[in-house]
Amino acid sequence: MTKRIEEGETPIAPSTHGGAVVTVSSLTKLFGEIVAVDDLTFSLPRGTVTGFLGPNGAGKTTTLRLLLGLAEPTAGEALVFGRRYRDLDQPAHRVGAVLESTDFHRGRSGRDHLRALALAAKIPPARVEELLELVELATAAERRVKTYSLGMRQRLGLATALLGDPELLILDEPANGLDPAGVHWLRRFLRRFAEQGRTVLVSSHMLAEAAQTVDDVVIIDHGRLVTTGRLDELTQDGRTLEDVFLALTGAAS
Amino acid sequence: MALLRSELLKQRSTRTLLGLFAAMLGLVLSAALLHSLLPAEQLANRHTQLMVFGRGEFLGVLFAALLGAMSITAEIRHGTIRPTFLFSPRRDRVLAAKVLVSFTIGAGFGLVAGAAAVAAGTAALRARGIELQLDGRDYVLLVAGSAAAASLWAAIGVGVGALVRHQVPALVGICAWLLFVEGLLAGDLVGLGDVGRFLPGSAASAISGQDPGALLAPATGLALLAAYAAVAALAGALATSRRDVG
Repeated sequence: MTKRIEEGETPIAPSTHGGAVVTVSSLTKLFGEIVAVDDLTFSLPRGTVTGFLGPNGAGKTTTLRLLLGLAEPTAGEALVFGRRYRDLDQPAHRVGAVLESTDFHRGRSGRDHLRALALAAKIPPARVEELLELVELATAAERRVKTYSLGMRQRLGLATALLGDPELLILDEPANGLDPAGVHWLRRFLRRFAEQGRTVLVSSHMLAEAAQTVDDVVIIDHGRLVTTGRLDELTQDGRTLEDVFLALTGAAS
Repeated sequence: MALLRSELLKQRSTRTLLGLFAAMLGLVLSAALLHSLLPAEQLANRHTQLMVFGRGEFLGVLFAALLGAMSITAEIRHGTIRPTFLFSPRRDRVLAAKVLVSFTIGAGFGLVAGAAAVAAGTAALRARGIELQLDGRDYVLLVAGSAAAASLWAAIGVGVGALVRHQVPALVGICAWLLFVEGLLAGDLVGLGDVGRFLPGSAASAISGQDPGALLAPATGLALLAAYAAVAALAGALATSRRDVG
């Protein structure tokens, strides 16, 4: 629905139609003396899969936590759909996220894990069953999570993020622990998700895998932006993503 | 309402609740039966009978407090606090739902503990042929007071858990406080003396009508403990809203 603009009012660019889905501007986060995120600015266009890359400790996870309202920025802002996460009307219906593949109570079944969260966001139980089928956990749904393999936990995490049928998916290292078939499945899933006009931000340090999945990259190091742009443009001179990454993050010997 | 149902399912869907309940019931029955082995002349005393039957209130309070604390510390420990707050970014509402659900389950814990202690104690005294010195009001206070005290302590537990965040220190702290810290503070060693009856554990015992000479009146104890519970829950909600989630 288009919002009618009153005469004399400055038109505001709608954030959800062609505009940026994620807007990070001058974002800074200090933990005591440590600068985890340092004046970081980038934005994500709609309908893309963006790889959020950087060495360990570069500030990727902290940035994602700030974006999701789990932590408060020291300065700057991190917005989704033009607003702070906590100010979204029904956040689970707009943004789905997995920060840790271990965020389950080990003694609770996969189904109950999904149901408890679905209840909180008023998502119908049928949606839980739908997702258990999608991530191929329907037969394991009654089992307690402690019996799940790492790959099964990754898939349960993905199901959690997808419960509200979100427009933006934020995943932190989703391929960890997946076997080759799982990685292939995830890649195809993320591609299809973006083809529907939805947006994915996926952090990774598995560059070879990321290079096969993402359209765009945001590379950070020491909490600062190193580069951002289209993957095919960054690698057009024949260099691989790994070459580019190592050269830019100064890790190359 | 949605959050209440979510929190209730979280409580029901692990074995923690059943484990705590079984441990509590086992301890209540053992405590009542062991105390009923005291010398007959001591047990014939009304004061001692109230003390023995009051073990239900004490254990109901202890386990309800642990249950309340675990409703938040278990989420932090397992990391489910992240999805919980992603699905409901209004953290104060999540805390309120935890307080309400823990309060309700805590009341059940207290009710069962109070009733079990009275039942086991009565049976044991009868078996030994010791005359019961308690009247109807005593029994009502012992059982209903235990339910009220445990429900309020469950809310205190949520607040303590939200403030401390780490599961082990929170649970150890609650146990330590109820088992001996209060006793030390109120006892001769620290010498708070008369002020001791205003501490939250003593207020809980007062609600179930124990030690009428030394403790507050049941209604006063109830009001005081409700104030403690409100302060703890508010402090926990405030801290949770302001701090970053790990």
